[in-house]
Amino acid sequence: MTLELQIWMLLGSLVYLGIIFWMLKTKRLSVRFSIVWLFSAFALVLFAAVPYVVYVLRDILDIQMPSNLVFAMTIGFMLLILLSLSAAVTEFADRIKRLTQTIAILEKRVRELENQSHQDNH
Amino acid sequence: MKILVIIPCYNEQDTILDTVQALKSYCPEVDCIVINDCSTDRSEEILRQNNIPFLSLPCNLGIGGGVQAGYLYAKEQGYDITIQMDGDGQHDPAYLRQVLQPLLDGQADMVIGSRFLEKKGFQTSFARRMGIRLLSFLIWILTGKQVLDVTSGYRACNKALTHFYANSYAQDYPEPEAIIAAVLNGFTVKEVPVEMKERQGGTSSIRALSSVYYMIKVTIALVVYRLILAGKGGRSA
Repeated sequence: MTLELQIWMLLGSLVYLGIIFWMLKTKRLSVRFSIVWLFSAFALVLFAAVPYVVYVLRDILDIQMPSNLVFAMTIGFMLLILLSLSAAVTEFADRIKRLTQTIAILEKRVRELENQSHQDNH
Repeated sequence: MKILVIIPCYNEQDTILDTVQALKSYCPEVDCIVINDCSTDRSEEILRQNNIPFLSLPCNLGIGGGVQAGYLYAKEQGYDITIQMDGDGQHDPAYLRQVLQPLLDGQADMVIGSRFLEKKGFQTSFARRMGIRLLSFLIWILTGKQVLDVTSGYRACNKALTHFYANSYAQDYPEPEAIIAAVLNGFTVKEVPVEMKERQGGTSSIRALSSVYYMIKVTIALVVYRLILAGKGGRSA
């Protein structure tokens, strides 16, 4: 890997990490969902700063190009993040469903109470 | 014995009043509640004007979430038996007692009104019958329980199953999934013959164009459902 590429990669991954921290600080991202993102950012920074790690991993896994390892890991992270997002959506859908049902039941009670007090007043 | 009839309603302005009135005349002793799942037509207005008890969902949940709202209501109000019935005039309230009887006798936890047991009345299209037969076969493989009319929305549940459904009810393909959930959790399911009519209005939640897609999705959903429930058993919920 050339020094230029390494510098650009380091810069890019640091900016990525910075964006995540900024989003966390300004509460645009909840800590709960940030863990897997932070993890991926740290991994990228580590790979850019110490490419030796990638070379060792490449040798262990017997992958021809070190870049392929980075790509494969990136895709792995993306799958993980997408899955966690689907899980989050499922949870929210569940909560919204419960809320909708509870509101409907409460609305019926309010409607009946209003009708009752309306009749009492006359 | 407190009995509640849940009638899910999505854009059924032409049939909902007839359905409720027919129910009242056949079985005046049962309570009914219409679940208005965010209808965009005059359904809610009709319910309001005619003093029919209804729940109005603030956002559209689909048939699963809507029916579950009914079960939740039944649980809160302490109903002993909950019956589900379509609001489009397909289900004849004249059969309500037949559907109820096995529950009153304690023979079953859930009774499904089946149009295929005696093959009377409207039998739906050939393609749909095949689809239902396939799902029925699938449920038999997955649970060992034979149910002929797996997509029938005419069903009655006792108190235990009402509480179970209030807590967890399938959202995506509720009719067949609810059967699997009931059987796998140790509830007994029984079918009784009923006659169904052709729907008088509205559209089926299972549309013709997407029926193949529906079949594939339901098949996968049912198999997945069986897998995640494997080994649970017992009335745990």
